[in-house]
Order: sequence, then C-alpha cells, then structure tokens
Amino acid sequence: MSTLLKVTGLEVMYGSVPAVGGVALEVPAGQIRAILGANGAGKSSTIKAILGLVKARGSVEFQGRAIQGLPTHRIHRLGIAWVPEGRQLFSTLTVHENLEMGAFARGHGARFGAKLDEVFTLFPRLRERRAQVAGSLSGGEQQMLAIARALMAEPTLLLMDEPSLGLAPKVVQRLFEQIQEINASGLSILMVEQNARQALKIAHYAYLLEVGRLVGEGPSSELQASEHVRRVYLGG
Amino acid sequence: MELFLQQVVNGLMIGSTYAVVALGFSLVFSVMRVVNMAHPEFFMVGAFGAYLTITYVTRNILGVLVGGMAAALVVGLAVERLAIRPVRGRYVMIPFIATSGVSIALQHTAERIFGSDPVLVPPVMASVSYNVGSLSVTRMQLVTFGIAAALMLALRYYVRSTKWGRATRAVAERPDVAAAFGVDVNLVSRLTIGISALMAGAAGVTIGLLYTSAWAFMGLLFGLKSFVCMLVAGNRHIEGVMVIGLLLGVLEALVSGYVTSTLRDAVAFGVLVVVLVFKPKGLFGSYDV
Repeated sequence: MSTLLKVTGLEVMYGSVPAVGGVALEVPAGQIRAILGANGAGKSSTIKAILGLVKARGSVEFQGRAIQGLPTHRIHRLGIAWVPEGRQLFSTLTVHENLEMGAFARGHGARFGAKLDEVFTLFPRLRERRAQVAGSLSGGEQQMLAIARALMAEPTLLLMDEPSLGLAPKVVQRLFEQIQEINASGLSILMVEQNARQALKIAHYAYLLEVGRLVGEGPSSELQASEHVRRVYLGG
Repeated sequence: MELFLQQVVNGLMIGSTYAVVALGFSLVFSVMRVVNMAHPEFFMVGAFGAYLTITYVTRNILGVLVGGMAAALVVGLAVERLAIRPVRGRYVMIPFIATSGVSIALQHTAERIFGSDPVLVPPVMASVSYNVGSLSVTRMQLVTFGIAAALMLALRYYVRSTKWGRATRAVAERPDVAAAFGVDVNLVSRLTIGISALMAGAAGVTIGLLYTSAWAFMGLLFGLKSFVCMLVAGNRHIEGVMVIGLLLGVLEALVSGYVTSTLRDAVAFGVLVVVLVFKPKGLFGSYDV
C-alpha cells in the first residue's frame, strides 16, 4: 500500500500562539482517514498547512515529493483538492460556474462534460440548480456543491474540512454515504470532523487531536472500542 | 426640451469615460482590496501618450489610441511591481498611502517633463458635427463614446464569459479558495492592474483629444469623480459602475445647462454624501475590505 500523503513534525503558529504542535500523519492510497477533535484542536490549521494557506514548519510529502513552501495553486495542481470548512463557495457565481472553477486547473477539455455528468449523477439536485447563484442554495445543497467542486478537479487526494457542519442529521447520514461512494471510486480522503461517531463509521483509520497535539491514533474499529474515545469523542 | 436632450447627449459622452476610469478603480479594489490612488495618473499618462504619439509618430486615431494605452500599461505594471505588490495584504490604508505617494510623484514627473500648463493635443480628425433635428454631436464626441462603449462591452465579456474573468470574480470573493483550485492569485492581480491601466489610458487618450489638451494634474479631478462613481455604485457589480458613470455625466451636464456650470464639479460629491448616508456600501453593494 503506497503512502500518498506523509506529514511529519507539522507546526503552525498564529502569532506567538501555537495552533498545531508537531503533528505527524499519513494517508495511504485508497483510504479514508479522519482527524478527530474538538473546536480549536488545530484540525483546520493542519489542513490549511498542507495546502500552503498558512505558514507552517515541518515536512509535508505528497506522492514522495516535498510540497511544503510551494504556492497553494501549485500544490493543487499536483492533485490535492479541498472542501473547506463552512463550504466557502463562490457565492456570486452560479452552480455551473463553481463547478467550472473546480476544473480550473484541468481546463475545459472533453473530460469536463463527462466529469460534470458524474457529479450530477452523485448529486442530482445540483443538475436542477445549475443556473442558480450558489449563495441561494440550501445548506445541504451548498455542501454538495462544495464537494462536487472539489471532485471536478479530479484530485488524487481530497481534504475535507467539517463536511457535516450545520447539516440536519438525515442529510449528514446521506452525505457520509456519498463520501464512502466517492472513496470507493478510488479517491483517497483526509477528513476533519467534529462528528466523531459518523466519521469513525466510514474512516479506515483516525487521529485524535487535542489542543494542537496528537493524543492517539488507530484503526476506526479499535478507536470505537476505546474507553477514552467513547468518553471524550463519542459522548459516553 | 431641446436643451434637455442636448445636455443628456453631452452627459452620456463624458459619462461613458467616467465609467471606464471608474471600472478600473473598482476592478482593482475587488480583486486586490487595494484602493489604487495612482489609477487617475494612468489616465493622465494616456493623454500624454496620445500627445507624444501625435507629435512624433502618427495622427491615425487607432495608432494614437494604442500609443496612449501602451504608455499607461507600462506605468501601470511598474506601479504594481514597485508600490502595490510589496505592501499587498496589509491593512488597507498602507497600499492606499503607497499609491497616493506614487500618484503625486507621477504628477510632478509629468510637470517636470511637460511643464505646469496644459499642452495642446493637436486634433486628429476634422471637427465635424452631426445634426439630428436640433441635436448636435461632434465626431470626436461619438468616437469618445464609441471607444468607451467598446471597452465596457469587452470588459463585461471578459469578466462574465471567459475562464480568466471567472477566476477574477472567484479571487475577488475568496482568494484562498481560488488559489486552492489552481488559480495563481498574483497573476490575476497583475492582469487586473494591466486591464485597469489600459482602460484608464484609453480614457485619457479620448479626453485629451476631446478637449485638445493634456495636463500633469488632469487626473486629479477626473479620477476623483470616477472614484466617487465606484463608491456610489459599490464595487460588487461592474454593470452598476457603468450605469452610475453614465448617470454622473448626464447629471453634471444638466446642472451646467440648467443651474450654473460652476456647480458642475460639486455634483459628484453632493451625490456621494447623500448616497453614503443611506447606502454605505453603495447602491449595488460592495465587497468587504
């Protein structure tokens, strides 16, 4: 099993406040891995550091190549797409234009139409709403669009930041099924989640982050059985 | 009624040029969150570019237009490199002050070279008037309006319907996310400054030809009024800026026609105060700083 992403000794400082202190993690090809932790544990900072959006120390390797220090747009072009926390759609652009932005680095070739059909099959609601401005979508539809936009880039690795945030429980259930389908189609995923219960159901392996430090890791089945994880992450 | 229509026509001719300069201001602010106070000098450089082209190269109107736009582009890219790129992403007042300094430096450089009085820009076409009923329009007015309209349509097409225009709107809204989808934000910024300089330069050429003069300090009032157009319209929609530019031209022409031409230059600022009291983000909305 080849390692797609390898992060070692990652440190992120906001001013003099450390947000992430020495995080190490790996994503093997084909897996879903989750970073679990409370608000402010440094989960989003870890994702942003991988993308080069915040200054960080440590090493980030993607497919064996050091990528820390590269500008964000070049990191993306290596095959990493992002589903940001809180969707962060281009809200004044239409659904279709958001999907075109997803494929910005790929260009508008013949594959664009095929990829578009693929994401519309996964999220049929988006096909109905393609001419609508993204800001006018419901919360669930916006999350679908945020994921669809990232899929349009045909990435090798998908970084998902709190995909379930602010969604109704029924929508979350369906969303996690879709994330599993995406993974089954061959895409590796690193996911940050506060909803540990759902995340552990679909992730192969998870990391536990508390105030910027890794406090545990393991296969999801082991973590689900752990007393500490039950008490702290799954609410007893 | 005749005076009214004539002044509306005159107003549209000059207003189209306000709109062109205001669009550059607005575009650069939306994409980079930089108030480029040197923008009016691109307009001034365009007018002197026209003067130099006519004097030394050609009287062909297209040639003169290219000369003025090229001069403005060169100055625009230099300003981006020297005064905007080093201070971007800082608190909004810092690039504001840096570009204000550049603006003053450019004005006084022009004054050194061309003198403190306006220079005569020789006409490049016969002064012909066209009459429709009692309305009268000069050929140069029509050329001014035509060039402004063509630039506005081209800009609208670029922003709404091209890949890089779409990326420009994406960067205006969320630069981080745009970068995370492969957009080189610095390249988009440079493109945007370049486009704004080309447009301001073209406006400078037409105003130089229309009033047959170029002056080191001509950007000051014209640029300020264009800036007002952007504030009144808000910078979120380029169509809003276009409409307000045209309306300001018409309003000024009506005030000069019916009240007194000495009040003409006060119109823009009066409108600004009233609009900002009721709509602080402009009539059509603005991006946050």
